[in-house]
Amino acid sequence: MRLEPKKLHIPVEHTTLANGLRVVASQDRSAPFVTVGVYYQIGFRLEPRGRSGFAHLFEHMMFQGSENAGKMEHIRLVNSSGGLLNGTTNYDITNYFESVPSNALERVLWLEADRMRALKVDDENLRNQRDVVKEEVRVNVLNQPYGGFPWLDLPPVAFRNWPNAHNFYGDFADLDAATLADVQQFFRTYYAPNNAVLLMLGDLEPAEALALARRYFEDIPTQPLPPRADVDEPPQTEERRGEVAEKLGPLPAIAIGYTMPKRETADWYAAAILDRVLHGGRAGRVYRKLVLEEQIAVDVDGSADLVDTNGPTQMVTRIFHKPEFTPEGTVAVFDEVIEELQHRGATSDELEDVKVKFRSDYYSMLEGGMGSYMPRFGLMHYLACFTLFDGDPNRINTILDGFLQITPDRIQSVANKYLIPGNRAVLTRRPVRLGGAQ
Amino acid sequence: MTAPSASAPSVSRRTTPPALAPERPLAWPKRTAITLANGLEVVLAESRTFPKISAQLYFRSGNAVVAHSAPGLAEMTATVVRTGTTSRSNRQIEEDLRRMGAGLGSSSGADSSAISASGLAESSSGILELIADLARNASFPEGEFERERRQRFEELKVERTTPGFLANERLRRVLFGEHPYAIIAPTEEQVASFRREQLVEFYREHYVPEGSLLLAVGDFSTDAMLEQVKSVFGSWNAPKPALPTSPAPPRPSGRRVHLVSMPGTVQTQVLVGNLAITRRDRDWYRLTLANAIYGGAFHSRLVLNIREQKGYTYSPGSGVNALRQHGYFTVRAAVRNDVVAATLNEIFYEMDRMRSLPVTPEELDSARHYLTGVFSLGVATQNGLLGQLSTVYLDELPEDYLETYRDTIRLLTADDVVAAARRHFDSANAQIVVVGDPAQIRDQAALFGPITEYDPAGNLLA
Repeated sequence: MRLEPKKLHIPVEHTTLANGLRVVASQDRSAPFVTVGVYYQIGFRLEPRGRSGFAHLFEHMMFQGSENAGKMEHIRLVNSSGGLLNGTTNYDITNYFESVPSNALERVLWLEADRMRALKVDDENLRNQRDVVKEEVRVNVLNQPYGGFPWLDLPPVAFRNWPNAHNFYGDFADLDAATLADVQQFFRTYYAPNNAVLLMLGDLEPAEALALARRYFEDIPTQPLPPRADVDEPPQTEERRGEVAEKLGPLPAIAIGYTMPKRETADWYAAAILDRVLHGGRAGRVYRKLVLEEQIAVDVDGSADLVDTNGPTQMVTRIFHKPEFTPEGTVAVFDEVIEELQHRGATSDELEDVKVKFRSDYYSMLEGGMGSYMPRFGLMHYLACFTLFDGDPNRINTILDGFLQITPDRIQSVANKYLIPGNRAVLTRRPVRLGGAQ
Repeated sequence: MTAPSASAPSVSRRTTPPALAPERPLAWPKRTAITLANGLEVVLAESRTFPKISAQLYFRSGNAVVAHSAPGLAEMTATVVRTGTTSRSNRQIEEDLRRMGAGLGSSSGADSSAISASGLAESSSGILELIADLARNASFPEGEFERERRQRFEELKVERTTPGFLANERLRRVLFGEHPYAIIAPTEEQVASFRREQLVEFYREHYVPEGSLLLAVGDFSTDAMLEQVKSVFGSWNAPKPALPTSPAPPRPSGRRVHLVSMPGTVQTQVLVGNLAITRRDRDWYRLTLANAIYGGAFHSRLVLNIREQKGYTYSPGSGVNALRQHGYFTVRAAVRNDVVAATLNEIFYEMDRMRSLPVTPEELDSARHYLTGVFSLGVATQNGLLGQLSTVYLDELPEDYLETYRDTIRLLTADDVVAAARRHFDSANAQIVVVGDPAQIRDQAALFGPITEYDPAGNLLA
């Protein structure tokens, strides 16, 4: 028996200011909080050549001081208003966001406008944050078993065009080479109101929030934007392979990435569901085969970042397998899963279940994200991506329909078209000390 | 998109931050708390913005109960609980979950074991039935047990190469001595020695309704949900287990350094700690506030000092860890190898400053606002609310804890902060754990106390 789903409708108000800043407001009076975000359409894909890691280093600089709010002032003003804040750097976007009691909305808008208008940082700030970023890279990558696996390892194997294929966290020599002039140049080029969207969600009156956005943001000057960079990949014909030494962890690990269809094409919707057929938790086909049935792997997961990327991206399977199996043998069993799907497709019952879970996960993502402490983080994130990449935040209410109408034959045809050796990369992490550190 | 507006309004640009608007009222949702005839405590709260529900069933026994007989047995039991019941195979359970749009977790900490699930509101009865099936009819299939045990064995090997895990493990050993909280993970040999019958025995004894807690939050009507809960859990009967008493943790005198050796590592994990208090202690609020000013927020003294001024580390912080019987205070930072001594120096300097001098009125005001705001964020999501409710009901805090927390924090003074720091930031007797390359950090760490070295397996090194 299938139960009647409850529909969810997210209210969306949006406009574009005279300077080109897009503004989205969404009211939700259920709790006296607002989540505010500013998303700039610049990520590590487009950082300058010879400056790997710069987009992320720059993100840190945005917390170092702006025209009227000096170093630590952003952090102090948000924390002392009862709120949390952070920023993240992604492939195609960099975001800055706060969750605060709703009486701090105007204060947060003032802060975000102040740093969109002018960055006020010096060499000392840059040296300081370069040191902080190096420790970030050490704690997350260099001094962590499987650090950076596979988000840093796989792109250089999978892609050929530098924007898609370089070290996104940054080589230390490149971080050292970054100058204050680079910082200001990057700010002028990309941190323009006409390259951004402002999002305001939660306990607010949309008309008042839009008026506040006008008051604080509309006189920030528009900048000429650089021509759209070429991030396309040359055609791939052969499978690509790479190997990286795992210095700490004792288990061999494999990442298998298939390059995904272009955003918002019919295949793109089908690929999102295909990903869940393969990777949807312990009921997914890959986990079932490799962990539960064959018991080759200790853990398996996988995903495709489709909604929040706007350029070449992959569906990636991560496999940690037992040391007594070879990577080649493990990939061969994974291939059986793919071939089965290509030959027989998904069953209609399986697909209906996958769609129920897809809808449920979509709601959870909109409600929370960033752990459980940042309300509506996912809603903010998706609204920003729909606005910047597709020009329409209302897709938040319609995009599910596109995913939920995928049929078994579409899954099969997309599996046959994209899950082929000539469209994939395989990366192995081979432990230096097989079987453990002792 | 609507057309761009014609012209920007001319306003004089403000150079100072706007004041906060009047605070809007915060209302925690009404809770319905009842105890069924079988002794199961049930707490329900509606949260209806998204069409989902979340439910957690807690048993008040965890790894501490078995720490001296079979460490990690509670966790292993929780891991295998979800893999089969008398009427469902592992595969069936996973497919049922997917059909209900649900995710499931089963885990065990020091003090409790939990089965939790969240999914679509339209599937609420099926989700409750599945939780009950796992709680009452788990079958511990031999094959699933052997598979999970092998997976745990491999995961343990990975954990012992993870600096953060090794630091936590060593600090708990040092702070808790013979108390069961000393042990956070089994050895590989102990995992190898688990038998299926031990899991079944733990399950029979501890997965019982009496004294246990069922929390549910989400898009439901309380009356209907209560009926569902009664029909699913009402017929279940089993008495609560007697829990063992535990020896007191040691009272260390003087700082000591405990170095976990990982030759060749490019960074050092620093973890400093001392025994403190539980949530039920009268000093809890004071200590929470002192911690927020010291290192418990982004805008705190420790972060300002060793990150924003000195660039030693990326994400330093401090926290008060409340277990049921004891709590402990910790300070952590992952730092580059040449500043281990400098980092410890600043950690203790900031602790001693908190103990010696009153905080400024601005710091006090800022931290009180921070704590009340972030605490209340819990009302805004189902998971946040569930987290706050589990704190209240698992720790048996007063029923009005959520409603009174903010007022209690707002009344605290600079004197309260200094008093809490003096009592609970035990700078003179703090235990220092460093995980890293002994050749690079031994001499630096030894400046702070007598040093003992261990390998990642926990063996003492000569």
